[in-house]
Amino acid sequence: MIKLQRTLLGIILFLMIWQVLAVCLDARTIIPDLGAIYNELTVIIAKKTFLAAVVSTMGKVIAALLLTLLIGLPLGFLLGINNRIFDMFRPIIMVIQAVPVISWLTLVIFAWGIGYRGPIFITFLSLFPIALLTTVSGVRNLDKNLLEMASLYRVPSWRVITDIYLGSLLPFIAAILDVTLGQAWKVILVSEYLCGNSGLGVLILAARYEVNPPKVWALTFLAVLLGLITERLVKLFLGKVAKRWAI
Amino acid sequence: MGHLINIANLEKSFHGRKVLDNINLSVDKSERIAIIGPSGSGKTTLLRIISGLETPSQGIVEIQTHNIGYVFQEPRLIPWRNVEENLLFVKQDADLEDILAKIRLQGYKKHYPHQLSGGMKQRVNLARALITNPDLLIMDEAFSSLDLPIKLGIINDVLSQWQERGFTMLIVTHDLKEALLLADRIVILSSSPGQIVEDMSLDLELNRKISDPALLKLEADILHILSNVY
Repeated sequence: MIKLQRTLLGIILFLMIWQVLAVCLDARTIIPDLGAIYNELTVIIAKKTFLAAVVSTMGKVIAALLLTLLIGLPLGFLLGINNRIFDMFRPIIMVIQAVPVISWLTLVIFAWGIGYRGPIFITFLSLFPIALLTTVSGVRNLDKNLLEMASLYRVPSWRVITDIYLGSLLPFIAAILDVTLGQAWKVILVSEYLCGNSGLGVLILAARYEVNPPKVWALTFLAVLLGLITERLVKLFLGKVAKRWAI
Repeated sequence: MGHLINIANLEKSFHGRKVLDNINLSVDKSERIAIIGPSGSGKTTLLRIISGLETPSQGIVEIQTHNIGYVFQEPRLIPWRNVEENLLFVKQDADLEDILAKIRLQGYKKHYPHQLSGGMKQRVNLARALITNPDLLIMDEAFSSLDLPIKLGIINDVLSQWQERGFTMLIVTHDLKEALLLADRIVILSSSPGQIVEDMSLDLELNRKISDPALLKLEADILHILSNVY
């Protein structure tokens, strides 16, 4: 309860400082008046296009995350158990990490034009190395004594994977979800802004064309709120999984 | 009838350093052998070779069974699995209630490893080895970290299981008393590289007491041999 009170106090203090700066600095293009932002918020939420934009962005976040997990986890597992394959893949991972996002964006626009595929692909590329390398590190950190015990008792491979590998990797998978979810929201918005045709990023782009800073902030606030809500939901889910697995 | 284990001219080296040299050892079914010797004499390496976890550098190692139970020095329990799941991990169709009762683990089926004491974890480690109904039970410093009363309790459980099932036992221990309580044959290894310097049969009753004069006399004799080995 005290923690909640402190959090609320922090938010109120932040809003007060914002309002003081908005009035004193008179720089409304950067720090607009809170009332103006609130008005924009109510207008945005009332429009049907907002819900469609949220669904579109959320869909892309989920698609990018799923793609990241479905490719990153199994590949990370494979690279973690086999150093030779890891050495073969390392240059590719390094290229993915080193190539600037702007280059990928340009290539994506050449390949697919403006649309939903670009933001998903760009987000996947920025999350994939995190998922892959965290999984590799999880596999390498596994207690080798447990594997030796399983081999001595001739436990079938599928049981070793489900009972030992999966259990060892769960904290790493939780860390991957924790890090990538927050990043996914940010990258999706940027790539929607640059090569998307729907979503919150596109609405922010429209606000820019309208030269409407309160609208930009209102949309930013909504994007942050949605990001936080999905993060809380994922943490709640992970908490339940951790309890089930006693980790 | 052939031996359960037959080892001839065994050598093992790690990175050019010889840890076992010219080991010749035959073990019959239902024998209880304790292997003792200084640290670094290759006792654990010998057990690991017998169990198939290591390969010999030279020599012949013939084991007439694949059914081996191994009580590790550290319990090696899966932390996110409870006692029941840890046991079923090695044998899905095991009669859990029977083994839990015999190893005095009733009521702990749903406990996770972090909820168990060191002694209880070692009991689960032992139960896991016994649940596979092994022909050969290997114990590698299995009780070294336990207090004497707990150790004596587990030793009694092991011996009663041996009486019931008649498996062969190979024990590595630093604790001479533990070896004398459990074994009917003691093999002494020299310091590195380990060679067998003594292989003695013990003419003692199965149920022994630490204070038994015959046992104390044997302990003194073995200590004398060990003092020349160290």
